Amino acid sequence: MLKVSVKWQKEVFSNMEIDTTQPPYVFKCQLYDLTGVPPERQKIVVKGGLLKDDADWSKVGIKEGQKLMMMGTADEIVKAPEKGPIFAEDMPEEEQVVAVGHSAGLVNLGNTCYMNSTLQCLHSVPELKSALIQYPPPVRSNTVDQSSHSLTVATRELFNELDKNVRPVAPVRFLTALRSKYPQFAQLHNGVYMQQDAEECWTQLLFTLSSALRSSGSGEDADALKKFFGIDLVGRVHCPESGEESMETESVYSLKCHISQEVNHLHEGLKRGLKSELEKSSPSLGRSAVYTKDSRINDLPRYLTVQFVRFFWKRETNQKAKILRKVDYPLSLDVYDLCSDDLCKRLEVPRRGPSNASGDSSVSAPGEGTPPEKEKHLTGIYDLVAVLTHKGRSADSGHYVAWVKQENGKWIQFDDDNPIPQREEDITRLSGGGDWHMAYICMYRARDISI
Amino acid sequence: MAPAESNSGGATKEQPPVKAPAKDLKKKDEKKDEDLSEEDLALKQQLELYVERAQDADPGLQKVALESMREEIRTATSSMTSVPKPLKFLRPHYATLQAHYEKMSDSDLKKLLADILSVLALTMSPEGERESLKYRLLGSDGDIGSWGHEYVRNLAGEISQEYSKRQSEEAPIDDLMDLVVQIVAFHMKHNAEPEAVDLLMEVEDLDLLVEHVDSTNFKRTCLYLTSSAKYLPGPDDMLVLDIAHSIYMKFEEYPRALQIALYLDNFQYVSELFQRCEDPLKRQQFCFILARHGVSFELTESIIADDEEREALQNLINNTKLNEGYLTLARDIEVMEPKSPEDIYKAHLIEGRGSGGGTVDSARQNLAATFVNAFVNAGFGQDKLMTVPAEASSGGSSSSWLFKNKEHGKASAAASLGMIMLWDIDSGLAQLDKYFHASDTHVVSGALLGVGIVNCNVTSDCDPALALLAEYVEKEDASIKIGAIMGLGLAHAGSQNEQVRSILMPLLLDGRSSVDVIAFAAIALGLVYVGSCNEDVAQNIVLALMERSEAELGDPLARFLPLGLGLLFLGKQENVEATAEVSKTFNEKIRKHCDMTLLSCAYAGTGNVLKVQHFLGQCAQHLEKGESYQGPAVLGIAMVAMAEELGLEMAIRSLEHLLQYGEQNIRRAVPLALGLLCISNPKVNVMDTLSRLSHDTDSEVAMSAMISLGLIGAGTNNARIAGMLRNLSSYYYKDASLLFCVRIAQGLVHLGKGLLTLSPYHSERFLMSPTALAGLVVMLHACLDMKALILGKYHYVLYFLVLAMQPRMLLTVDENLKPLSVPVRVGQAVDVVGQAGRPKTITGFQTHSTPVLLAAGDRAELATEKYIPLSPILEGFVILKENPDYKEES
Repeated sequence: MLKVSVKWQKEVFSNMEIDTTQPPYVFKCQLYDLTGVPPERQKIVVKGGLLKDDADWSKVGIKEGQKLMMMGTADEIVKAPEKGPIFAEDMPEEEQVVAVGHSAGLVNLGNTCYMNSTLQCLHSVPELKSALIQYPPPVRSNTVDQSSHSLTVATRELFNELDKNVRPVAPVRFLTALRSKYPQFAQLHNGVYMQQDAEECWTQLLFTLSSALRSSGSGEDADALKKFFGIDLVGRVHCPESGEESMETESVYSLKCHISQEVNHLHEGLKRGLKSELEKSSPSLGRSAVYTKDSRINDLPRYLTVQFVRFFWKRETNQKAKILRKVDYPLSLDVYDLCSDDLCKRLEVPRRGPSNASGDSSVSAPGEGTPPEKEKHLTGIYDLVAVLTHKGRSADSGHYVAWVKQENGKWIQFDDDNPIPQREEDITRLSGGGDWHMAYICMYRARDISI
Repeated sequence: MAPAESNSGGATKEQPPVKAPAKDLKKKDEKKDEDLSEEDLALKQQLELYVERAQDADPGLQKVALESMREEIRTATSSMTSVPKPLKFLRPHYATLQAHYEKMSDSDLKKLLADILSVLALTMSPEGERESLKYRLLGSDGDIGSWGHEYVRNLAGEISQEYSKRQSEEAPIDDLMDLVVQIVAFHMKHNAEPEAVDLLMEVEDLDLLVEHVDSTNFKRTCLYLTSSAKYLPGPDDMLVLDIAHSIYMKFEEYPRALQIALYLDNFQYVSELFQRCEDPLKRQQFCFILARHGVSFELTESIIADDEEREALQNLINNTKLNEGYLTLARDIEVMEPKSPEDIYKAHLIEGRGSGGGTVDSARQNLAATFVNAFVNAGFGQDKLMTVPAEASSGGSSSSWLFKNKEHGKASAAASLGMIMLWDIDSGLAQLDKYFHASDTHVVSGALLGVGIVNCNVTSDCDPALALLAEYVEKEDASIKIGAIMGLGLAHAGSQNEQVRSILMPLLLDGRSSVDVIAFAAIALGLVYVGSCNEDVAQNIVLALMERSEAELGDPLARFLPLGLGLLFLGKQENVEATAEVSKTFNEKIRKHCDMTLLSCAYAGTGNVLKVQHFLGQCAQHLEKGESYQGPAVLGIAMVAMAEELGLEMAIRSLEHLLQYGEQNIRRAVPLALGLLCISNPKVNVMDTLSRLSHDTDSEVAMSAMISLGLIGAGTNNARIAGMLRNLSSYYYKDASLLFCVRIAQGLVHLGKGLLTLSPYHSERFLMSPTALAGLVVMLHACLDMKALILGKYHYVLYFLVLAMQPRMLLTVDENLKPLSVPVRVGQAVDVVGQAGRPKTITGFQTHSTPVLLAAGDRAELATEKYIPLSPILEGFVILKENPDYKEES
């Protein structure tokens, strides 16, 4: 009989008796009674070695009063959960997009940042995406020429791809389609494709899409693009000389913000943009005379596009020169005072909105219900969702970048294939006045209210 | 010079040994003759008279003249700032007196004149003639100090010149040594210990010092000796420290003597110390010092006879109190609450950024969270991922976090439990036990590694690590093998344990073992036998290196083989030479790499400038394809230069040059070298450099810069680095690899919630723990190939850092080793070497009560007279004894 002490975790069992005639397994059973640890899970450490169940005590060399250490717990053995977690690294790419929180960038195919930034801005319009999905219609009308058709399809495919990828997408097919539809974008200079004006690209692309979708649409949905982007203007044309006056209506896809010495803010520029002078032959005077045109908005779209007229043709340098003047723009824009009386009346009720209406004056959730439901009413207030900026001194040089607000409310700067998260307050700093990126086209989304 | 002249009307400021241009002075003298005050004029005439008389034929008159002259000189030499007037007025007569001396016959008078000439030579002797010494030796042996301090200093200078001249001519030096004894005695009495030491070093006879030190000046003397040792070439430095040791022993300043014994790695001295000092309390204090240094030292019966006391002391050396003390500190500072990785990332402070989703688990980011969690909660015994009690969530949340890691990630996750339970063997092993029975090999591997981590720097007399891990080394599965090998290496680092050697050694030469198993076995053996110069182990690693094919040596892990070899010679300087010679026969692919690694390890922590230059030279070479030796060379610069502050600053500047002119593989290693130089010591200039590099276009430079940001801030909670890393985390949020590095760095900065340090230096930066440095070096070498190792499947090499982890605390305990709270002043340490009197040793201090945290470069002193510390170095555990003379202030 030997007496030893055994340490188990923080406890010490002193005066444990070892019957050296019995195998150590018996000793372990003694410990089982004390600790509740089954013998097979017990590890007894004797001076740097483990005590085996069938060892011979005499060979182990235990001395009277020696301290042993026992390890082992009755804890449950760790088992792998039946269903392990799925790791982002193992997921297919489409699912990773959700995790990343924004869509992919676009590879620059050689001076194509003008196109990439335009596409990224338009890509943020969910209504446009869903309209494109319905294209082409089962029955194809032949009002659309082949190149427009392929450009529209290419747009649809590209948007689709952007949604599915985390890695940058190369818009090769789209670029080919664009260049075949509009050969001016395929201009070469010294054997290299030239930089182009993003605004031109934007306008032409919308024009093509609009015509393609119009032909495909049926019934009331006929002109989807116009509903999304079109702005109806009503203009009073007045000739101060003759006193003639006439009304003209027109539909445009963007408002122009004219920049002059007095313009410091987008609003002032817009006002100025709606006034114009033109020379035309006056029937009453029998000669050409100067007319002033004073336009007002008669109908508002869901997406209001504002173009800063930053470029003007400079004859001496033979290029589109840039006005660097700082023009502030707000994160939310109210165009109420640019509207015609008719429209103002229509806007009045929704604008009083939150106080009398059901209360939930939430910003319209994108993607949900296009075309706008009956209850949704425009308020004339718009929220900034995308900014296309330009950095450099002329339209045909420099660098274009798109800054787009994501569905989760975060801003992403799409610098070609490199999406960079940005803070909201930095977005309004793109207002010009230096050599930093400055806003060229701003896109606002209508804040509507359901009544 | 101007003010002195105008004030004293003609005294020139003293310029000790330099003999002022005579022509100039003459002119001035003539000019000034007229504006001499009456008093001066009288003195001048008096002296001229003496000179005349001294040449008189009458010996009586001569004697009177010489004695009065001596009297004049002696009374005047008291002033330190100007040439004493008598000396000045006697200048023109120096040559006359000299000539007269030659003519004199031998007599006491002649000696007297020699004395005077010796003093006059102070200002008159032509450069290099050493006339002062010459006349001193010819003169009477009177009290040397009577001629003033400046005279003695001048004489000492001339002696050292004369000594080296005579040494080269092999002329006898006995007369000089007599003089040296006088001078040393004079200096030691007059607060000029550095001068005495310098002189003795010049004449290579430091032993003389021991006779002359007394209880008032031995501390200053030894301080000067120990700090000058760093700048001396070997073997002089060892000699100097030896002297310091014997002085400390003589005056029973045992803790300091122990420090030096540890520096010299001389365990004979340590044993002697225990035998000499009978006081049980002091012995306990020695044990604390030994434990902090991280060496295993076994007290035998011959050292301490009493069984009970020996066991208690051995327990202290085994560091069993470490966990308890650390938790006392944590409770006092109120940081016991576990922290989750999110608490560290502080994503809410990053506006508009941060990853959008968060719904899907990323294996890489979960692995990062595992490490962050382990580093932050190291040693606290509780966290929010691994040790959450089972009842808190269904099915045990710890296993659910474990399985949120992928494959080899599970090994690191299981091992992280070891890190959380650091130094607490009893509960740590109980927690790890359940993973031993898991079916997943990675989990078992991690559990084995965890056992090693728990036992790191602490030893239990049952040695559970060896018992548990030994059998797993035999297992077939490579990952289990590696876990067990690494665990053994960590648990027994520095122990030179024979059993571990017999387990690991066969692996090295087993042809069937894969490269990774061999690599880890080499490292583990290197750690166990760190700095031991063990021939047997070295030979086996060399053989393993020779047997492997060229392709296998190209494996990223193959770098561990030469490193394991190098660790055997860590800090042992020339002892490496034989092995380095053998390494020249290696495959040329690794020859240079091996050479650099061996050299850098052997001279680590020596501050050897020649080696630093050697490494810099290697870095200047332009690489041929596929060579990798420059990485270890760059790390070598840091390893050698980290020894002392001056060399460290110089190395930082040299590394800056390498950054600008070096090739890419050098630039990748530079941040790591900076990290090692300033480990746990966030210097602002290094922080800025690393911050700049963390945006480097080369992603590997950026990664090592980020890891190094973590290293320099390790355990400091440095807000600036934390901010930088937060910004980096949003900057690199898309790149999983870079983000992983940022996370690791974030974890390191908050290491042990800011209570730990990674610095291998301790005890006022005098001692370096070899195991701590070894751990750091292994981790840094792994970082040289970040992509293959840290970002590959060997991320658990990060756990080698555990070897360097130590609480940066001062914990005062009473005579029963219970924590005792006393007020202490903590401030920036001031270098007081060579300063007379009792200068302030800290500046800008604040008063706290213990336990307190000490930052890099901080020093503490007791703010109460009530207790006497048993160790003059207030770091780690310090035992306080009540001051018997203390009287409570009423």
